[in-house]
Amino acid sequence: MKLPSFAAIASVAYKEFLHIYRDRRVLVLLLILPPLFTLIFGHAFEASEMTNVPALLINRDETPRAQRFIDIIAKNKTFQWRKQSPYLGDEPDLLGHGVWAALVIPRGWSETLTNGDPKALPLYLDGSDTNTATQLQGSVRESLGDFQTKERDMMIDTLPEVVFELGKKLPVEIRKQFVSLMTAWSTENKILYNPKERFVDYVVPGIIGLILQLLTVTLMACTIAREREAGTLYQLLVTSLQRGEIVIGKILPYLAVSIFLIVVVGAVASWHFQVRFYQPPALALICLLFLLCSLGLGLLISAFSRTQTQAIQFSVFFLLPVFVLSGAFAPLEQLPKAIRYISEIFPLTHFCRAFRLVNMYHAGASFYLVDLVVLLAGALITFVGAAFLLKRIEQ
Amino acid sequence: MNEPVIVLNQLSKSFGDVHAVQSVSLTIEPGTIFGFLGANGAGKTTTIRMLCGLTHPTGGNATVAGIDVWKDRHLVRTKFGYVAQRFSLYPDLTVEENLRFFGGACRVLAAELEKRIARLLGLADLETKRDVAAGSLSGGMRQLLALGCALVHDPPLLFLDEPTSGLDPVHRQQIWNLLYDLSNEGKTIFVTTHYMDEAERCTEVGFLEAGRLLAKASPRTLKASFRARLLELDIEPIMPALVRLRNLPEVLGVSLRSGGLRIYAPDPEKLLANWRAQWPFPDLNLLGERWVEPDMEDVFTAYSQGYDDVLKRSTS
Repeated sequence: MKLPSFAAIASVAYKEFLHIYRDRRVLVLLLILPPLFTLIFGHAFEASEMTNVPALLINRDETPRAQRFIDIIAKNKTFQWRKQSPYLGDEPDLLGHGVWAALVIPRGWSETLTNGDPKALPLYLDGSDTNTATQLQGSVRESLGDFQTKERDMMIDTLPEVVFELGKKLPVEIRKQFVSLMTAWSTENKILYNPKERFVDYVVPGIIGLILQLLTVTLMACTIAREREAGTLYQLLVTSLQRGEIVIGKILPYLAVSIFLIVVVGAVASWHFQVRFYQPPALALICLLFLLCSLGLGLLISAFSRTQTQAIQFSVFFLLPVFVLSGAFAPLEQLPKAIRYISEIFPLTHFCRAFRLVNMYHAGASFYLVDLVVLLAGALITFVGAAFLLKRIEQ
Repeated sequence: MNEPVIVLNQLSKSFGDVHAVQSVSLTIEPGTIFGFLGANGAGKTTTIRMLCGLTHPTGGNATVAGIDVWKDRHLVRTKFGYVAQRFSLYPDLTVEENLRFFGGACRVLAAELEKRIARLLGLADLETKRDVAAGSLSGGMRQLLALGCALVHDPPLLFLDEPTSGLDPVHRQQIWNLLYDLSNEGKTIFVTTHYMDEAERCTEVGFLEAGRLLAKASPRTLKASFRARLLELDIEPIMPALVRLRNLPEVLGVSLRSGGLRIYAPDPEKLLANWRAQWPFPDLNLLGERWVEPDMEDVFTAYSQGYDDVLKRSTS
């Protein structure tokens, strides 16, 4: 085998570039979609907490105390309360009312609070999606806690003198314990790695990775399949081109386009969402390896498919689990352990992890070296695989 | 005699149980226009693709310019140009860009490439279409461009797989004139076709039938391989006559040619004598008869239908 010739690679790359340039519709998509997706996804994931969830508040206890609770919970930003007439069926029809939750204050509730036998408040939650119910429940509980603290303070303020006199007769230790128990215990939070708790900072590598993975794999997957479909592949194979020259020549223009797109997405993230990029050279290296790996995958799919239709189908089948399992938008730790092993196969998983380790954790290279090695290995395996499959076409 | 430019030695290709090409042996001298004839599915394309190193032989071997077409396929590629059966250029690239790309892919040096492109554009009569996308050319122009792209590295040998199929007569003529020019320059041309008039234009012809080479000779020799002249009859009405004559046991086949019926029979003189004595079809009018020289279509019909009784087998 001779060494690849620069001129031969350049003629393949130029031809491939012309294909991209001439296909104006795809070109426009290529230039518009990445920044647009970045804007949409960025805003979509900007706030990680739910706000203004429609909910019903049914007050059957028309007392000042219940009203005080309502005043507190009305300020809870999680909910957009809709007050209903107190006379409503026992089990509110959440779907019918277009709400996700319904909180009922039963008749005589404040009386039970006064009588030392606090009655639980019925809270109806839409549990169809498991995250929401827990979040909403937590939010209601928080308001209830606030209410309880306020009521307690109010009670202490209005206690008759006798009670204080009685209290002073208690042993000091017991009094101290009592005071301590009456105070809400808390943590002092110090948030590391993402102190402003901006989800968009977490999700940026997911957005970059997802867009780039989608474009590189599908576009690349079509290149060899298109030549096969058009019959030009054989024409290509009877030239003096070596397989390596074809593979490298085909990758280069897509690599250039992808790098350009990463810069565009990065620019949108930094100007519009004020995302900071730490250690750009390290991030660039991670991006480059990820791109090579994705392009290699596309090429592998391409060499494997007989038609462009097949190539697109294979790409979709590959990309679907990637989107769900790669941890682009949610921590991998949410997944069961067995599934996480599958995630480790996907380049996007390693890209997101390495990117976050650099950009959020400001971690040293030793932390993400494994991910770099995996991406590099992926790129090499797919390139060699594609060259091998091309060889099989000849036979 | 020169060294043969193409040598096939028991070349075979099987796809599982399908034997596409079976032990084909032949040699082609430099400067020949070799017409490779055969019905669809006879194995012509498979043979060409083996010779181009695009598919490996399952038996035998072949050399082009003395180089094994499979083992040294990377070396052999500079020796020939290939025009595939289907249009296989890049439709979104312009005429010039296609030529330029294949020039680069065939490692033509940049300085040389400019001259070649100018010359090929002239040769293929595509100067005015230089900046037109290949996909919007007419069928004939596409084929001329494909030929240009196959010639960009100035190979001594050209493989053309049905270069004129589906083209109008004007463009067919144009392509053949180009092939004559190339032959005149000393290039060897290996062309498959199923147009019999094109077979006449070749200096040598090979018949492939079901993967086997039936004959290989010059068109003149092949036509001379008919043992007898051919009988042509004028009969009214003609279609019932064709059907009924075809069913006679002493007739191998009948073909309709310019209003006359050409009879393939082992002993046409005897047949005619019998018919003169007694015409067996009272409802058909025998208006005239004559003896004609066989043309390539007759040769092809006889070889492909297996009318061995009318042929002197020759594989020179």
